[in-house]
Amino acid sequence: MKTWKFPFLLVVLSSVIGAVAQSGNAQPAQPTGPASVSDIANAEIGIIERELVPAAEAMPEDKYNFAPTAGEFKGVRTFAQQVKHVATTNYAFWSAVLGEKPAVDVSNENGPDSIKTKADIVKFLKDSFALGHRAAKSLTSANMGERVESEFGKQPRLFLTTFTVAHCFDHYGQMVEYLRMNGIIPPASRPQK
Amino acid sequence: MKHLRTIFLLLVLCLTVGAVAQPPQASGSAPAAQQPAQPAPTVASVVDRQISTIEKQFVDLAEAMPEDKFNFTPESLNIKGSEYKTVRTFAFEVKHVATANYFFWSSVTGDKLPEGIKGPNGPDDLKSKAEIIKFLKDSFALGHKAAASLTTENIVEMLPFRQNKAPRLQLVTSPVPHAFDHYGQLVEYLRMNGIVPPASRGN
Repeated sequence: MKTWKFPFLLVVLSSVIGAVAQSGNAQPAQPTGPASVSDIANAEIGIIERELVPAAEAMPEDKYNFAPTAGEFKGVRTFAQQVKHVATTNYAFWSAVLGEKPAVDVSNENGPDSIKTKADIVKFLKDSFALGHRAAKSLTSANMGERVESEFGKQPRLFLTTFTVAHCFDHYGQMVEYLRMNGIIPPASRPQK
Repeated sequence: MKHLRTIFLLLVLCLTVGAVAQPPQASGSAPAAQQPAQPAPTVASVVDRQISTIEKQFVDLAEAMPEDKFNFTPESLNIKGSEYKTVRTFAFEVKHVATANYFFWSSVTGDKLPEGIKGPNGPDDLKSKAEIIKFLKDSFALGHKAAASLTTENIVEMLPFRQNKAPRLQLVTSPVPHAFDHYGQLVEYLRMNGIVPPASRGN
């Protein structure tokens, strides 16, 4: 069972933000410098990246086309489609933050058909997060409220940067259930060693 | 990108709610309504919009589960080969999200935590569906208060949070992805019970 996961996230965040001196021992990390909006957004992206990528890696390739059936699951995404959808959305929104044309075709919400194998899909996901870090680093107090063109009209940069993280977590939660249905405890939920 | 369009429709609705009340237009004969000038987004309005989005989706989802299923956990289905030992019940998931909301947002607003919170799943004495949903709704009300406190100048201010410190912006925004994590799980809990989540139903 997950316990106090949310404070843990904050500890992680606090340790990421502000040029923390890492001593390598068990001492709690203390933030040492002022955070910026860029740091904060970048840390949020790092958190979901560290949960989602291991979850995608934890599903065996022969289960990538799994979708639940016991219940009302008509038309739901397969595991592969969940991962590809997240990556596609990441590309669409974070490219918009940067004012760039997405490097992949985002016209299909589940991503390009040509991305099929587990290795290709996980790479697609990882590359989308690399774009996210670049988008986060472009944020400043001065430009975060600026509306930029996106797939869904003009949206503030801060919104596009951070709401994409929330979108990832929505699908991460679904993937957690897909994994458990297949007897796999999501890596982030396994007992800490 | 139908799913994303749904999310953005919700966002537009969220923006509409709370805007200056517009008198209803007479149907058919009125000239095209003037588009109100979009106010410049502020950090407070951007974050508040995100909170409204998950609030709408999460509360609707909680309300969609029948009360007699509030103690449902997938473990009870005995799905062959599954691993659901000790996962939260539907009720605990909802209470956990509300409790996390309270922890984060009260650290920004200075409000006291509700009575009876002893752990991550909220007060033991909240048992009925109505009580749990009220607890959830009240937690989001605190979120709007926390979002309203944000300014460009104070977002990086470090505030105490449990045994640590975190930037004000982080404390206000963290509950949104956290709630979406559990929302995604509960989507599956609903579907396992034959219920399509309200946000996923066709228009």
